[in-house]
Amino acid sequence: MLEIQDLKVTHGPIEAVHGIALTVAEGACVTLLGPNGAGKTSTLSAITGTARSTGLIRLAGTDISRLPVEARAKRGIAISPEGRRIFSNLTVRENLVMGAAGRRDKSAIGSDIRGWFEQFPILGERRDQPAGTLSGGEQQMLAIARALMSRPRILLLDEPSLGLAPQITARIFDIIGDLKRQGITILLVEQNATAAIELSDYVYVLNNGLISSEGPAERYGDGSALMDQITGVHG
Amino acid sequence: MNPSQRRGLLGSALLSLLILLIVGAYYLWGEAWQARILYATFVNLLVVVGLQVFMGNANLTSFSHAAFMGIAAYAAAICVTPVAMKAISLPDAPWGLNAFALSPWTSALIALGITGFLGLLTGLFIARLTGVGVTIVSIAILVIVHSIFLHRTDIFKGNQALFGIPKVLDLPQITALVILAIFGARWFRESRFGLQLRACADDEIGARAMGVNVYRTRLVAWVLGTMFFAVAGIAYAFFLGTISARPFYFNFVFLTVAMLILGGLRSVSGAVFGTLLISIGLETIRWLETGPEILGIQLPQMLGLSGLMLGVVIVGVMAFLPSGLMGNREIEDIIRPKRQETP
Repeated sequence: MLEIQDLKVTHGPIEAVHGIALTVAEGACVTLLGPNGAGKTSTLSAITGTARSTGLIRLAGTDISRLPVEARAKRGIAISPEGRRIFSNLTVRENLVMGAAGRRDKSAIGSDIRGWFEQFPILGERRDQPAGTLSGGEQQMLAIARALMSRPRILLLDEPSLGLAPQITARIFDIIGDLKRQGITILLVEQNATAAIELSDYVYVLNNGLISSEGPAERYGDGSALMDQITGVHG
Repeated sequence: MNPSQRRGLLGSALLSLLILLIVGAYYLWGEAWQARILYATFVNLLVVVGLQVFMGNANLTSFSHAAFMGIAAYAAAICVTPVAMKAISLPDAPWGLNAFALSPWTSALIALGITGFLGLLTGLFIARLTGVGVTIVSIAILVIVHSIFLHRTDIFKGNQALFGIPKVLDLPQITALVILAIFGARWFRESRFGLQLRACADDEIGARAMGVNVYRTRLVAWVLGTMFFAVAGIAYAFFLGTISARPFYFNFVFLTVAMLILGGLRSVSGAVFGTLLISIGLETIRWLETGPEILGIQLPQMLGLSGLMLGVVIVGVMAFLPSGLMGNREIEDIIRPKRQETP
């Protein structure tokens, strides 16, 4: 589904990613692990088109690396951004409508929204509230639902567990597991290695802008060794 | 129709009711001289609601509305004034501008067309800018247009009055226009474009990542806004009978921006309430300025008090109530709070 070769990402004069390759097969959940500053978010920004990059980014066989942000969204890339960047002044329902900005099938959009309200009743209850008034976990649910409103080919999740309490984090990973079972292709960026590895098919570890190791999720066991490496805890 | 659009209709109907109540009160108890004040308030209301379309939804500040209003007012006035009158008021007009006269409807359509075209032309630049860039370019547009009005005296008469414009509109017609404008602005706010524009104001990159064409969305709002200003300008010329360059400049810009800021630029209801409150406040202050006697106390003349108070309102709202009286709320949110139950 998604194939990346020799990807270099720059922010002004600084190169954050120095040439990486990764592949996400259709229906798979692939995780990109790494510490702060490893280049995880930069990689996602290059895929969505919000950061400058060189190299090949192929979505369902076509190179999208020269397309502007909006065109990539229309071709099936959706992101739940880091820090749950939802539209805080819009209502919950309006956020979901925005997720479908590239779609024209009005009635199907309406039924998709109702579907999300059934899946996340708390969002249904707060449908007319400004999204900025939701709790962190609710905002994360909204960010994921909003991304999926575009019925994307691939869902990019940027640190969905960041800054959430442990029970809420567990709930969010349950949701991601459900999405995987529904057959949604996912590229997950995380620092929480143990939780991410449990639901992944394949893992890439990013360090200082380069992939330091990769392999099927089973190879990393329960991920605790990786977790220590990422968080800098040894012992 | 989605839930937001249904609420939009309800809110517009409530605001229209308020407008009709004001007009009704005037016809029942008002005095003849108040018609002029009410008409002027409604012209301002058209402008402020138009300002909300771009400024409120995009959360960008623009000051060029007086220029577009002036362009429409002059275009309509020059088209509609009878030839005999133009021989006196515009004897040196070039391109045969003083050799024809059109019906009010045709004149209004031409004025709308010219303003809309100039709105599109300026919009092509404005829509590519963000933040303070929009404000600076809009000020430049205002200054350019004003200096053309001032110095092409053969067409615009500068600071002298262009007179002899037939009186086409009166209170009932402008009331209808105001109600249309309220429905139009609210419909836009709840439309695809309005929603996308508000989303861009929150998080532009986020909105682009959902496939929103920010440039096109801003352009649509900008051009639509200029159409509101054009209607206001035409209504102004078609009632007063004379126009000059002076009213279409900074004083008017600040007055209307203060109205929008007081009410809260994020909502159409805010635009309406801000306009009404400042209009009432200004009339009171103008009366105080003359030095009236209240409860046996003779107040001194205080000329310039209205300008001072306008400044105080802008500073006060900015400091203590940055999102205005209404904030994100519309009128129906106060009267009928949004439901909170599960679907």
